[in-house]
Amino acid sequence: MKKIYIRCLGLILIGVFGFINHSGGIYSSNTGNINFFSHTSVEDISADNHKVKSAFDATSGKIQFSLLIKDFEFKKALMQEHFNENYLESTKFPKAKFNGNISNVSAIDFSKNGKYSSPVSGKLTIKDVSKTVNTIATFTVNGGVVNGKASFKVNPEDYNIEIPKLVVNKISKDIKISIDVDFRHKH
Amino acid sequence: MKKPIFLFLSLLILGGGYYAFKTYNKKHINVAETKAFIKITAADLFNEFDSNETEAMNKYADKIVEVMGQVTSTDLSNAKEPQLLLKGNGDNGFIRCGFKPEELEKMNNLDTKTILLKGECKGMNSAEDLDLLADVDVVLSKCIIIED
Repeated sequence: MKKIYIRCLGLILIGVFGFINHSGGIYSSNTGNINFFSHTSVEDISADNHKVKSAFDATSGKIQFSLLIKDFEFKKALMQEHFNENYLESTKFPKAKFNGNISNVSAIDFSKNGKYSSPVSGKLTIKDVSKTVNTIATFTVNGGVVNGKASFKVNPEDYNIEIPKLVVNKISKDIKISIDVDFRHKH
Repeated sequence: MKKPIFLFLSLLILGGGYYAFKTYNKKHINVAETKAFIKITAADLFNEFDSNETEAMNKYADKIVEVMGQVTSTDLSNAKEPQLLLKGNGDNGFIRCGFKPEELEKMNNLDTKTILLKGECKGMNSAEDLDLLADVDVVLSKCIIIED
């Protein structure tokens, strides 16, 4: 009888511990923000996407993103049209994806509030072209929400994005991509 | 003789300039004022994308659609674009509808209700090759609620 009691207690403790300790498992978001910013002396261009799908595995460090190119909102409708129709061909290539790894994930305590940073590297795919991207990401754990921030630069030419000569001096070769996602533990 | 040519050229330049200015400052599509190209159920819209994404992209991308469906949840985690999900395939497939922040107050108490909304179709966010991203969303932006 005592054995059964101890076993039950053990099981309850494991259950309770598993519920409280969210340090493992999958953290995800469907409402992440990604901004891209192109600066030249002629013009600054900025666009935002607020429906970025992303998730990471707090144990293995695997991190993934997927977004719709057409969901980038520009201030100017004409710019948005050119971006989609002429440069990104977003009806033919609707998504951009990232598949990578948080290399220092074991040093992040997801059950404790705090700010951590780690290198993240992986493959970014745009227009069916995949290139390696490296950056340093910041993870801020606050009350169960993990905010992830990172930025890196891409050159449109690397992804077969052809910029017409007429506007070539308006679009930077170093486009800054900024990521800001609130991840929540997936139950 | 020179005068009419001068006048004609001036008009041409002015007209051209006006056209260029109007094109450059073209406004974003106004969902409320644009007639929907189709009225469809959330389940049918999802199925069309799920069965042939390329065909569905050509048909729906950048178009204004009216969608009728059951709200499975509201996702207000991003204040820049409050969102709600309509039931798609009854499993991991949804219609994800993004709203402007000023529409937020109209999004209260909608859970489980069947509603009619209007928005701009952006495509299907799915990632078969990315195992952590299991949910599939057909995405609408700049949505407005028509009936709830």
